[in-house]
Amino acid sequence: MPRPALRPGIAIRPRPATPRRRISEPDSATPPGPVTVPSPAASAGFAVSRGLRHAEAWPYVRSCGMPDPLSAGQEPPAYASYDPRDLRLLVDKVIDYAIFMLDPTGRVVSWNAGAERIAGYAAEEIIGRHFSVFYLPEDTAEGRPGRELEVAVAEGRVEDEGWRVRKDGTRFWANSVITALYDADGTLRGFGEVVRDATERRMAEQALRESEERFRLLVHGVLDYAIFMLDPTGRVVSWNAGAERIKGYAAEEIIGRHFSVFYPPEDKAAGKPNRELRTATAEGRLEDEGWRVRKDGTRFWANVVITALFDEDGTLRGFGKVTRDMTERRTVERALDERGRLVAHLVRAQELERRRIAWDVHDDTIQSMVAVGMRLQLLASRLPAEHAAPVTRLDEAVAAAIGRLRDLTFRLRPPGIDQNGLVEGLTSYLDEITPGAGLAYTLQHHLDREPPRETAITVFRICQEALANVQKHAQAQSVAVSLTSVDHGVLVRVSDDGIGIGEAADGVTRPGHFGLIEMRERAETAGGWWGVRRRPGGGTSVEFWLPALRYGEEDPLP
Amino acid sequence: MTAGAGPLTVLIGDDEPIIREVLREVLEAEPDLSVVAEAADADEAIALAVLHAPAVAILDVRMPGGGGARAAREIRRRCPGTRIMAFSAHTDARSMSEMRDAGVSAYLLKGLPNAALVAAVRHVAAP
Repeated sequence: MPRPALRPGIAIRPRPATPRRRISEPDSATPPGPVTVPSPAASAGFAVSRGLRHAEAWPYVRSCGMPDPLSAGQEPPAYASYDPRDLRLLVDKVIDYAIFMLDPTGRVVSWNAGAERIAGYAAEEIIGRHFSVFYLPEDTAEGRPGRELEVAVAEGRVEDEGWRVRKDGTRFWANSVITALYDADGTLRGFGEVVRDATERRMAEQALRESEERFRLLVHGVLDYAIFMLDPTGRVVSWNAGAERIKGYAAEEIIGRHFSVFYPPEDKAAGKPNRELRTATAEGRLEDEGWRVRKDGTRFWANVVITALFDEDGTLRGFGKVTRDMTERRTVERALDERGRLVAHLVRAQELERRRIAWDVHDDTIQSMVAVGMRLQLLASRLPAEHAAPVTRLDEAVAAAIGRLRDLTFRLRPPGIDQNGLVEGLTSYLDEITPGAGLAYTLQHHLDREPPRETAITVFRICQEALANVQKHAQAQSVAVSLTSVDHGVLVRVSDDGIGIGEAADGVTRPGHFGLIEMRERAETAGGWWGVRRRPGGGTSVEFWLPALRYGEEDPLP
Repeated sequence: MTAGAGPLTVLIGDDEPIIREVLREVLEAEPDLSVVAEAADADEAIALAVLHAPAVAILDVRMPGGGGARAAREIRRRCPGTRIMAFSAHTDARSMSEMRDAGVSAYLLKGLPNAALVAAVRHVAAP
């Protein structure tokens, strides 16, 4: 029979030992029975992983006080590189693994240095005792040791992890492999058990798990920051309490949706969400400040950090996103900064200019045109009929121009907010314009307090522009105006039930909508935001928010 | 003086000369109307109304000396027989209610046809 070569890396190989030899009986206390060395054909290769189908002599080591079969006048191995005595020595001396044998009933029949170190028993203390002493009482009570042997018999081997007990009663976390050992006839000779003390590894794993759990709880519970993950395409895959608080979505409402839902329509239209992901992917990280949209459609000023997350292979796994609501801080800062004061001055200057224009047009231009019209009528009445007609047409043109100028001065005139407040000013404006436009209106207001004058004027002017659009374009039956105190500012909605603005819902990017651009610029100059959208049920909704902190002394307009 | 005996007498109070001039022309074109005085401010309007006791005073709303409202109030007090009409470019509710409170009988918007103006003067003067 050819001799099999010793393969490197394989710890246990059957000896090609023919003829079969009997191995002398081991310790009398637990006779393992006769052991025969199997033929190579009977062996199943890698012993530990497959169930040792042969019974090597090697486990019966000298330290167990058992007879050494190799020194009992038997032949040395047939090939020079493989000396079973070396192997026995190795097993004997290994201290990192407990390697020991059990008889078919589970009694310990061999014991190595590692076993002594790990379990604390000297060989003479443990040999002959049932291996269930290593198990916790409750494990033993429920029959775990016996069951493991049964599985080892049924499947060749059994691997287990769990608490075991040392001689001194302390516990250790054991990784154990029990291998059923058969002789050539298929008779169960016993079991080989290899045990590693994995306590430290388990503690480390547990510490890591606990640390991860604490971290997860921290992330989950943080209220001041929205901390969540996106997949590589930008879909939300995790959500924390802060995200829910800041953005208004519950986890089940938002997970799976694309994060562009947090951006205002104009940013979405400009492709900002995906641009931010691309930048984060290219540069690892991106920080941005800007308006974001809550679930209820209101906006908040956000500080956003997007971090690209790569695995070891450099594959993009997704993004971590941390968002902070800076609205309040920004509003307070703006109240203090020079720009806030400039905005106040600007609003004031605009109002004075408007008033001056209104007076000039009213007191001079309109009066003159009225006189012209009256004179044209007189002239027409004195002319023969064939000449009177063109003069009458001229008079009608003058009358129409007077009407337009009157509308202009009406829109330019001060809203009277100084005396009566914003709600009163808006109410009387609505009272005046809606009957002529055939509109019904509602005005709802939930204001904590009267906004500062510049804010009130800007609210009024933007409402005026929005209402002019309703009159001109919407073909609406009714318009609803609402004023609400939100985030230290005023949230305003002007909604109609008309035909709805065009599909490009931001409207701002379309040329020719100067009214829309003007509204937006007014709001943004004042440190707020502005948006317009089609209402789901039809009609258009203009929505804007302006900060409402006082910028300093308020002199009444002269 | 009352309607029936001779033309209806009218006082014009407006701080715009161009308006006074054309208003006089429009009214004088009617045989039954006669403009008896023109005033450029409230004080003048009150004084001339006391002097002429016109059947109708046509007053601008915004004019020096306290505006049409003061003039109307004074004229109502001193010349109970004089009916007062506001003739204004102001369309706002406040101006209108101010004049109504001052006792004016009609509020005419500048820019309305001459015929309507003339008809209103006759209507206001009618007892």
